[in-house]
Amino acid sequence: MSERITVTELNTRVKELFSTTNGLRDIWLVGEISNFKMYTSGHCYFTIKDNGSEIRAVMFKNARARINFNPGDSMKIEAYGLLDMYVERGSYQFIVESMKQSGIGDLYLKYEALKRKLEAEGLFASERKRPLPVYPKTIGVVTSPTGAVIHDILTTTKRLYPVNVLLAPAQVQGEGAAQSIVKGIELLNRVGVDVIIVGRGGGSLEDLWAFNEEPVVRAIVASKVPVISSVGHETDFTLADFAADRRAATPTAAAQMAVRDKMEIYRQLDDYTVRMNKALSSVTDRMRSRFATVDAKLSLKRAQEKVDYLGMKLDDLSKRAFSSIRDRVSIMHRRFASCENRPESALKTQVARKRSNASGLFARVDPDIRTIIVSKQHAEQNLSARLEALSPYSVLDRGYSFVAGPDGTAVTSVKGLQPGSVITVRMRDGKAEANIISKEEKE
Amino acid sequence: MSENQNAQINVEEMSFEESMTLLEELVRKLEGGNLDLDESLKVYEQAVALREHCRKILDESDRKVQSIMETASGEKREDFKELE
Repeated sequence: MSERITVTELNTRVKELFSTTNGLRDIWLVGEISNFKMYTSGHCYFTIKDNGSEIRAVMFKNARARINFNPGDSMKIEAYGLLDMYVERGSYQFIVESMKQSGIGDLYLKYEALKRKLEAEGLFASERKRPLPVYPKTIGVVTSPTGAVIHDILTTTKRLYPVNVLLAPAQVQGEGAAQSIVKGIELLNRVGVDVIIVGRGGGSLEDLWAFNEEPVVRAIVASKVPVISSVGHETDFTLADFAADRRAATPTAAAQMAVRDKMEIYRQLDDYTVRMNKALSSVTDRMRSRFATVDAKLSLKRAQEKVDYLGMKLDDLSKRAFSSIRDRVSIMHRRFASCENRPESALKTQVARKRSNASGLFARVDPDIRTIIVSKQHAEQNLSARLEALSPYSVLDRGYSFVAGPDGTAVTSVKGLQPGSVITVRMRDGKAEANIISKEEKE
Repeated sequence: MSENQNAQINVEEMSFEESMTLLEELVRKLEGGNLDLDESLKVYEQAVALREHCRKILDESDRKVQSIMETASGEKREDFKELE
């Protein structure tokens, strides 16, 4: 006879069965996470599935705290735990006590091996890094058309500098992602952009895997246009990041690297304005100070100084000229005195006598010698003319006066003179007697 | 540089980057103080023209946001709008 039991009793028996059956507890369940939800309580509810089936799973808060990664949808995992019956709902679920990412060890090995290989080729060398354009006209972006990357780039560039953005939509995870990214980079190179940002948002190592694939790394290296990478979170380093010319921690940071802030450029233009005005006014200042020097030379005060200086020089020159004239006059005085001592008539008689003697001799000399004598005579006449010029009377013609004392001798000094002394002043056309009124002796 | 100093520079045809680069160069040259007044004025005028050109580009810059795809008939560009 069949047993009559309640629903609760049935589900309780199933629960009991699960807990006592080998193979339903202490197992590693292999599958992929979907419908992952974490409640505010800290408990996580999700589905673990494979190609043929799926099972509800729960990971309580304390188990979640023990694992060192963030589980999420499409993550391939191995979950350790047991099958349990939720009696009230009549549903069973897998209680996850621990979890690890499956295949992760393999991926890390692949990553490390490829990194070593490409590093050895020099693809990550800092000498390969190119500077980014300072003022790009168009930035190319290779990423998902629906992700946070393009959104953040559009928002940031709109705010900073309204640069053209050309998006090459790409599949950034899963099968074919690497190829799609490579095509995007090549396409943007072909159509010509100034800089390329390539990236995707955060995710598991698997999600980011396309950015660790060799073709993507090589496409970045081959790009003629500088590449900024922005893959995953700040702590994620993909091989694409190593190959890129710059690596940005976030898409916003990538946009900030790609363009300058328009306000900053306005400020720089203002700075140039200040600098060029300053430079120009220093040129005009320099000119002005040069003019000032010329001005100073032309100023009335300077002119007065110049006149004073020239005046001084003139005084000096005339003093020297005066003393030289005075010297010459006193020489004349002495010559005149010596002439006076040999009266002129006596001189003339002497000359006449010599001349007649000479005439007598002349007739008796050789004609050749006569020629010489004639020329000598001419020379003598010449000399007479010069003697004439030296005569004190010729000097009188030039405006000098000759002063003689009572005894007829030349007075050349005031020393012998007293007030009342009588002197004879001889001029060009006669002589005058004069009394000395006063005298003043030079120092 | 010394060659195109004398040549008439057609500012209007210069890109923003070229303009900024030349502007910076002219400002430095002015600051060098090796120019006489005539040369200084010439350089200054050029610098002012470049600065105005740069400001104009900044003031007017209007951007295009497009996506580009490769299709069988070649590259296809279209305006890109984010999905809300």
